Amino acid sequence: MYLQDLYTSEVDDKPTLSVSEFACHISGCSAVFSALEEYEHHYNSLHRHVCCSCRRSLPSARLLDIHIQEWHDSLFTILAQRQDMYQCLVEGCGQKFRTSKHRKDHLIRIHKYPPDFRFDKTKKDKGIRETKRLQQKDTNMEVVDDVCESEGVCEVMCGVLSDQPEQGESMETHVSEEEAACMAKPAATEEHAGLSAAVHGNECSSTETLKPRYSYRVPSTVCFGHGSIRGFRGRRGRRK
Amino acid sequence: MWRLNKVRHKAGRQGDSLEELRLKRREHEKALRQARRDRQLVSKRLLLTEDEEQSEVTMDTTSGEQDVVSLFHKLQHSGPEREAHLKALSKALRDPSAQLTFIKQENSMHLLVGLLTGSDAQCRLQAVQCLHKLSHSPHTNVAPACLPATPYLLTYLSGQSTKFTELCLYTLGNLCPDSDAVKEKLLAQGIIPALASCIENQRYNLAVVEAVGFTLSQLLQAKDAAEKIIPMVLASSLPSSLLSVLTPDPKFGLAPAIECAWCLHYLACSEYSRELLAHGALLQCSSLLLSLGGAVAEGNREEGLELLVCPLLRCVGNLLSICPVDSLSSQVGDVRLVVSLCALLQTYIHTQPALARETAWVLNNLTAHSSAVCSALLTLSLVPGLIQLLPFSQGINTMVLRVLANIAHKKKEFCVQLARLGLLSTLCATLKMADQEMVTLSLEVLFVLLVSRPQVADEFVRQGGVSLLEAIQYNSEGEMRQRAAYLLEHHLLSYPSDCTVKTFIRIVLFVKFVPIQNSGVTNLICFVAG
Repeated sequence: MYLQDLYTSEVDDKPTLSVSEFACHISGCSAVFSALEEYEHHYNSLHRHVCCSCRRSLPSARLLDIHIQEWHDSLFTILAQRQDMYQCLVEGCGQKFRTSKHRKDHLIRIHKYPPDFRFDKTKKDKGIRETKRLQQKDTNMEVVDDVCESEGVCEVMCGVLSDQPEQGESMETHVSEEEAACMAKPAATEEHAGLSAAVHGNECSSTETLKPRYSYRVPSTVCFGHGSIRGFRGRRGRRK
Repeated sequence: MWRLNKVRHKAGRQGDSLEELRLKRREHEKALRQARRDRQLVSKRLLLTEDEEQSEVTMDTTSGEQDVVSLFHKLQHSGPEREAHLKALSKALRDPSAQLTFIKQENSMHLLVGLLTGSDAQCRLQAVQCLHKLSHSPHTNVAPACLPATPYLLTYLSGQSTKFTELCLYTLGNLCPDSDAVKEKLLAQGIIPALASCIENQRYNLAVVEAVGFTLSQLLQAKDAAEKIIPMVLASSLPSSLLSVLTPDPKFGLAPAIECAWCLHYLACSEYSRELLAHGALLQCSSLLLSLGGAVAEGNREEGLELLVCPLLRCVGNLLSICPVDSLSSQVGDVRLVVSLCALLQTYIHTQPALARETAWVLNNLTAHSSAVCSALLTLSLVPGLIQLLPFSQGINTMVLRVLANIAHKKKEFCVQLARLGLLSTLCATLKMADQEMVTLSLEVLFVLLVSRPQVADEFVRQGGVSLLEAIQYNSEGEMRQRAAYLLEHHLLSYPSDCTVKTFIRIVLFVKFVPIQNSGVTNLICFVAG
């Protein structure tokens, strides 16, 4: 029966819209597509639900709403001090929590979510987060925008993403690279080493996973992230 | 990938190969349904992309395994070729042993989840392809290995990218029947609200609706679905969403309606089917059945129509059995449903006997409590057609005879009309049958007819019925002998009743189809002699 599935094939070829490669029109994004379908998928995945304040891309409208409330809504911040405001991320759960920490516990305990759920990022001061990231690499994965902004370890990611002359291409991979880094044994020092080496193709082979550590150093003011605007933006208003 | 086929079809691109493929798919789907029905087999679906289909060659398994390992190592490096590696990986993962090799690699799932949630849309798509291939694995330990990905797959259900959402849905659908642990996790992670909002948000996107239907039906088929899953589904907005899908889009085809009708069927044969009734499911299903029957009667032999008819019939039949008698007419709506049912019965009698039997079963449930339906059968002159079906075996004739018994039981005038339409001579034939159930039923129908009017007895005697009844006296089955003797004594030989033989005739129909839990007592004719 299973094998039968393999043969549900179709023979006729795809109606390819033969347009030569075209780029994503969103400023700061230089992904290139050969088919309209690819572009649609790209847009829907990365530019559909973008926070206008911090350019973070979220997978659904609901998560975006929650993000905006928690990160950029001052009323929320005030109310959160008095009542449970942190909504559960699971659709249809409807529970609210006093802090994001409580919510995280709830997600892990009730909904069996992984502790490093990517779309649950706690809003913290930069310094705290950095130290945290240095200490335990397997916690929250960060979206590019934050990562690009911060110095230190996070810049490794930034360095990684600029491994190619054309940033658009490299941009496609850097978050996964970051995750690969998080997956591997915490090796912050090695990453620093890789960063300072600044040699194209320098491989950081001390961890069990072989990862190339490309690091052309990029000025921290230049930011490559999906949805982020390329150019000199400084850091104002980027992360609150 | 047949789904894309549909989408293209929607775009107006038609061709012979398309029809051919659709036919192939339908056949395949039919086979799956059959397997599911017969053996409660876990069915999984695999969506293939175009390039994968072109290279439909069976690959050497050892090289496949090596491929997977080397691709996995390559994937750990970043670079622009990552997407290509992922693509190759997803191709390699179609091989079951390669799937096992992959999940045994350390951190492999973590890497895949990383790519699934990464910032590259194409990588996400390829990663979900890989997961989809893994979810299709026949090995039971692959699904638990995929668990780290499920929160993300569920999260993406509320996204906007159609193809991606679809793949997520089919992956989830494939994963959930494999192990209870996976199912528990998915339920805890909120799969049902996620499906509810997905079908609601994407209701105009029929490919996604179909995928939701598939995933939900996989969940509803779980053995312990009645305890937890079905109440959750009924409490959500899913039932009304499912019902709203029951209007097939002529351009897109029947597939979404088929999936949703199966979901409704699983709900309808649960103990909570009353809630479904409150949603107006009976009205909705029977009106679709009405139009489908009309289409069939007009000669529409669209391939796969029976795939939609089957779950609808079961849904209607089961809902009828629990529908309160007083609200029957409002729930069923149009009595012309019987016309459709008879048309379906006539159409499928030769090609799909099982379906014909189920149609007769629905007709039986419909006639059990409604004299309006019975009189409709008579006035729309559908009874002669039914009488002609009595020689057919495979349970069709007994069911049809029950329908006729229901009609006869309602009113004396109906009996007269039935006798006039030639039921007596047919009964003479059925009394000779080897099938005991058929003979017993015939005796009962005969009893009702004989009681209705004395002329019927004369007619029966004229047709040589007495000798038939006498022959039954020598039957090994005691009950049958008793009934025949009773009829002879009381109605045919005009003996004064001395009440030495007390016959107790009772028909209780309890129709059960294999996956149906509750078909209900559909008809009850009780009468005591003497």
